[in-house]
Amino acid sequence: MIKTVDLQKSFGSLRVLNGITNEVKDGEVVCVIGPSGSGKSTFLRCLNLLEIPDGGQIYFDGVEITDRKKVDINQIRAEMGMVFQRFNLFPHMNVVDNICLAPLKVRKCSREEAEARAYDLLQKVGLKEKALSYPDTLSGGQQQRVAIARALAMQPKVMLFDEPTSALDPEMIKEVLDVMKALAKDGLTMVVVTHEMGFAREVADRVMFMDEGLIIEENTPEQLFNNPQNERTKLFLSKIL
Amino acid sequence: MGYKWDLSVIVRFLPVLLQGAALTIQLTCIAVGMGILIGTFVGIGRVSKNKLIFTLSSIYVTFIRGTPMLVQLYLVYFGLPAYFGTIPPLMAAIITLSVNSGAYVAEIVRAGIQSIDRGQLEAARSLGMTYPQAMRYVLIPQTFKRIVPPLGNEFIALLKDSSIVSVIALEELVRKGSMIAGRTFRAFEIWTAVALLFLFMTLPITQLVNYAERRLKQND
Repeated sequence: MIKTVDLQKSFGSLRVLNGITNEVKDGEVVCVIGPSGSGKSTFLRCLNLLEIPDGGQIYFDGVEITDRKKVDINQIRAEMGMVFQRFNLFPHMNVVDNICLAPLKVRKCSREEAEARAYDLLQKVGLKEKALSYPDTLSGGQQQRVAIARALAMQPKVMLFDEPTSALDPEMIKEVLDVMKALAKDGLTMVVVTHEMGFAREVADRVMFMDEGLIIEENTPEQLFNNPQNERTKLFLSKIL
Repeated sequence: MGYKWDLSVIVRFLPVLLQGAALTIQLTCIAVGMGILIGTFVGIGRVSKNKLIFTLSSIYVTFIRGTPMLVQLYLVYFGLPAYFGTIPPLMAAIITLSVNSGAYVAEIVRAGIQSIDRGQLEAARSLGMTYPQAMRYVLIPQTFKRIVPPLGNEFIALLKDSSIVSVIALEELVRKGSMIAGRTFRAFEIWTAVALLFLFMTLPITQLVNYAERRLKQND
């Protein structure tokens, strides 16, 4: 579904991605782990072109999206949901309007249709009673669940999660992970940058370990966590497990 | 120290001064209104990635902020007729004040947009919104709240600076004061009255700005 070939990205003189070649298959849940500064967030942000890669190609459903002349990036982004570490809900709108905005303006849905789906999604993330609340009245965990619903409202083909629980208080992490687990169970294609090894172990079809802008090792969670092959993977896992 | 105050002069000419004050307020309101219109577009231009738009709006803002409003007024009133024929003083005043205010409002709008967390734009774009859509539905509505206090200050500044148009014989408050003072030789009384009238106009706005700032702080 998303294929990257020799993806490269630098910020100034700092090389963040050193040539990433990978493919995320339809229905697959891929967790990306690695030390901070390893380039995993940048990799994820390149996938929907929030960061423009310096080199290499990205193919989405077989179409090269790094060829800016051929594709409308807004159309591509509409098919890829993204969830951010800091939620990034729109503070001037209530929960339902947050969820409905993109379907209304990008998909040109009718208000009835958009709202009906918004309430369905809120039910799914367990926040129907917060529909008319404003983001700043919600806890971090609730805000992140709304953010997930907002991304899902576009009915994306794939969801990108950029450390979705890293800004949460410990007691709120579970409610967000539970929602993500349910999505994985429904067969949604997901790429998740995370420090939650328990989640990766339980939910991922494949875990990618990144360091210094490269995929060092990738495997099923059982193999990668129990039987890492690369020294750097072993070192990283020994520090966090 | 033998000067004797004659308050009757103020009483007698107060209606005339109030006429002047009315024109001052009208000029300021029109100019700030136009300024907000111009400033919103130019302010958005100042955060644009489009080089041409950015450069043009930057030149405008730099030129206006870097030159005296008096010179701008002369340029419009005495300069432009070279191309456009005579411009009536009122028109020249409105053009100058609006264009001037537009540049300052543009900087307020630019600062407002840039004060919004970058994640807001990213979230909007990640949902497939175009840059103009993200601006219109996500960023600009959030800047409104933040730019109310500085806009109030701009209004006060312009209300005072509008007195410059007295030099092209527009009979706003300062011009009226000058005429009466010249006629009555009661400069101290008249200019005191003019100063107080300005104060009466700016004070409520200052209060309003303070109130708005307090309200916004509570909401953040």
